[in-house]
Amino acid sequence: MLQLDMDIIVVGGGGAGLRAAIAAAEVSPSIKIALVSKVYPMRSHTVAAEGGAAAVTSDDDSLQSHFYDTVAGSDWLADQNVVEFFVQHAYQELVQLERWGCPWSRKSDGTVQVRRFGGMKTERTWFAADKTGFHILHTLFQTSLKYPAIKRFDEYFVLDLLVVEQQVAGVLAIRYSTGELVQLRAKSVILATGGAGRVFHYNTNSGIVTGDGMALALRHGVALRDMEFVQYHPTGLPGSGILITEACRGEGGILLNKDGYRYLQDYGLGPETPLGEPRNKYMELGPRDRLSQAFWQQQKLGLTGDYQGHAVVYLDLRHLGEKHLNERLPLICELAKDYVNVDPAKTPIPIRPAVHYTMGGIMTNVDCETSINGLFAIGECASVGLHGANRLGSNSLTELLVFGKVAGEKAAGTALQKNGISHHAFATQIAEQEAALAALHGHNSDDSLVAVRTGMTLAMEQGCGIYRDEEGMQRCLEQLHELNTRYTQLKVVDHGKVYNSALLQHLELGFGLDVAMTICSSALARTESRGAHQRTDDGMGTRNDGEFLQHTVAVRQVDGSVGIHWQPVSVTSLPPGQRLYGDANTSNTAEDKS
Amino acid sequence: MTSRNIGIMRYNPEQDKKPHTESYQVEADDNTSVLDALQQVQQQDPSLSFRWSCRMAICGSCGVMVNSVPKLGCQTFLRDYPDSLVISPLSNFAVEKDLIVDMEPFLEHLSAIKPWLINSEQSTVPHVQTPQQLARYQQFANCINCGLCYSACPQFGLNPEFRGPAALALAHRYNLDSRDLGKAERMPQLNAKDGVWTCTFVGFCSEVCPKKVDPAAAINQGKVESAKDMILSVFKSSGVR
Amino acid sequence: MPSHNNSRRPYLPAFRRDWWLQLRFYQLYMLREATVLPLLFFISCLIYGLYSLSQGESQWLKWLDFMARPWVVALNVLTLAASLFHAKTFFELFPRVMPLAPPSLMIAVQWLATVVVAGGFVVLLGAWV
Repeated sequence: MLQLDMDIIVVGGGGAGLRAAIAAAEVSPSIKIALVSKVYPMRSHTVAAEGGAAAVTSDDDSLQSHFYDTVAGSDWLADQNVVEFFVQHAYQELVQLERWGCPWSRKSDGTVQVRRFGGMKTERTWFAADKTGFHILHTLFQTSLKYPAIKRFDEYFVLDLLVVEQQVAGVLAIRYSTGELVQLRAKSVILATGGAGRVFHYNTNSGIVTGDGMALALRHGVALRDMEFVQYHPTGLPGSGILITEACRGEGGILLNKDGYRYLQDYGLGPETPLGEPRNKYMELGPRDRLSQAFWQQQKLGLTGDYQGHAVVYLDLRHLGEKHLNERLPLICELAKDYVNVDPAKTPIPIRPAVHYTMGGIMTNVDCETSINGLFAIGECASVGLHGANRLGSNSLTELLVFGKVAGEKAAGTALQKNGISHHAFATQIAEQEAALAALHGHNSDDSLVAVRTGMTLAMEQGCGIYRDEEGMQRCLEQLHELNTRYTQLKVVDHGKVYNSALLQHLELGFGLDVAMTICSSALARTESRGAHQRTDDGMGTRNDGEFLQHTVAVRQVDGSVGIHWQPVSVTSLPPGQRLYGDANTSNTAEDKS
Repeated sequence: MTSRNIGIMRYNPEQDKKPHTESYQVEADDNTSVLDALQQVQQQDPSLSFRWSCRMAICGSCGVMVNSVPKLGCQTFLRDYPDSLVISPLSNFAVEKDLIVDMEPFLEHLSAIKPWLINSEQSTVPHVQTPQQLARYQQFANCINCGLCYSACPQFGLNPEFRGPAALALAHRYNLDSRDLGKAERMPQLNAKDGVWTCTFVGFCSEVCPKKVDPAAAINQGKVESAKDMILSVFKSSGVR
Repeated sequence: MPSHNNSRRPYLPAFRRDWWLQLRFYQLYMLREATVLPLLFFISCLIYGLYSLSQGESQWLKWLDFMARPWVVALNVLTLAASLFHAKTFFELFPRVMPLAPPSLMIAVQWLATVVVAGGFVVLLGAWV
């Protein structure tokens, strides 16, 4: 077995992982950093983010305002000390990216341009056309190439964390190109593996977003926090779930039901704003959870249209004109033409909600530290406490940068101080993993990976969708247990070593099932409605701060089931208030300034 | 949905001497992409390996040859190939398994041209860059590193040391950026034997580029810069004498 | 990365010598490059004409007679067609190398310049004859 000694291992080559690796490399050029990723870094899912990254930028904006929007958007479940830290460091991180060459869109005087975004009171979203994630990822990847300290392990799949007495010691990975096991040892490990959207059937996520890092941590006793909060993006393409950015609505796009009616005014987001005059926090610029829930209500009323068997509403961009669309939303024009054969300048785009983002994740403190010494988590796989019950669009790209930097620097500090652990300490763990891998090969009689995976994604879609109830979730949990039993009997039918994708998919499904189980268990425990978690059971339709101004903390029990604990939310300056949008919000301005 | 036949090039390095084409049945309608078809085949035969991820033509993973032309699988639709359809691995790269090729040479070329902003000034404020200055390089910053241009380039096929379209376009992107001061560091790579002058403006790289980056234009603009650079250096060295 | 038991066996087929026959795009590229061949013939004719001119009237008449032969005329017509084709490809590529103005405008200006220069030659020649 290949064995290598490093100082820091970063698992995941997306925005957060790259930012962390660069931060660590800047601490000391002699530090040895392994950037381990199951795909080439520029394939990571950060690439698909379209809209932008938020930071207080213009003179008429304030840190308090960004803080308020984020906390209110989170339905008061964000940790306010974390939000404070975040809004304070957001701007400097976006500037840093600019200094590294990110092609941010500009105003005619050459300063950075900001755009409107859902749930944000003021224009504060930096963007690079409608390919912001793409440009951020490529800027970070290309910048990372100039640091010799960063050694890339592209297409290495992490199978397990090496942990000795609550102290991280490295990772065990499979080299995809050869099938070899590789033991990477280090004093700090940063998990930056992204979300878990792929455990749902309709999602906007890349195929790689399978919850690997969350499950890796969970299996070593680390808690997953706020897992019940799964964000549906209101505008995905029907069938594929391909993302149509919120920036479309920021630019003035409107949502219509099958009768051409702007239905959002019926759901506390009105009054109707005039065409071409979008207003922050009104109508189409309400938060994502509200918009997705309004779709569900319209579908129940039979007011949605149909696109090849999928219920849809329509995103109308026609009034923006072809020139503006090509300039500001070029990718959207391409996607609409390619995947639903629609020219947005001439026809409204059929869209429907699709799972987009997992607010919850590996529990960390504001320094990105987990409960295992030397183990950090950042980005979508982590729950640092920023998003609470609902993430605001354009906060997560900034999150990658702000907390990526924190984790990189902290991990470097830890690695420089600590001594490595003798590798005899985890010899048994590795032997067990090797044996488990060897036992995987075989033939399946009548079950298959695809059948189990589809079973999981459909169960989650039905049981843990936009609206949830006790009965549906109980059924979902039972199905997940059954699927897990079937999974343990599955074999990997491809016995090859080189690029064995069947093996990787098998391991990913195992991770996904673990994560799905925590999502469902956490959702069952929260018997109120808050943000992205909406229950239809009697008496659970509203927020209940008396009992539930708390995070769910999901821990894996000895028998493999999930136990739920509770952790109070950090409230520093903004006591829970009503979460209001549209005209209802104007009576609320006193609170804005608090 | 109708059933149809497609061909896929298969290669298992642990069993086969060389790649061969196999035929598969898939269900297809108007929206079925080559990537969808590959996923269907993988359900029948899990040993089929190919790269994919975003399904929306931005991650650059799923490049393959479709009837001998480099394409992104997710952006290519079966409806456009009513007669025959054969999917094979990207040309000019070594095949690792089935549709997976060795991308390491591509990454080496990319890294060689110093594709990062070179400017040692320390500052906590953004540069000023007008939309016009941005427009000069923006197109060349849209490369998704899918590698289709390398499969389209006969010069890269003949000489794998050629830096190639994507890398040279990226060098040009940074050279054109008003914030960058590193042109002098990159020009030796452009001027070198395997730099811009290897290109003969076949132009197929730009034809197959899924993001309309037009690397051929970038390289040939690079030739103009390279010529200027070489003439200048002649003057400089004669000045020294 | 060094490895101990490596099952990789990357397969790189030899680059085909007939690559340019595989796609229409490549064929057109080779055609563009091949326009130099008839041009070589045309230049040989010109040099032969200049030589003949220097050798006196009988040699000059011999050259005129040679130029009037059907196969020579045919080859020169082919040269004209090849040059026009090359000009077309060149004019289309040029705006991408030197993006000074919108491509369609640059293409139009180049053709206009060609017509003016060629027309000028015809007028001069007519005046001389």
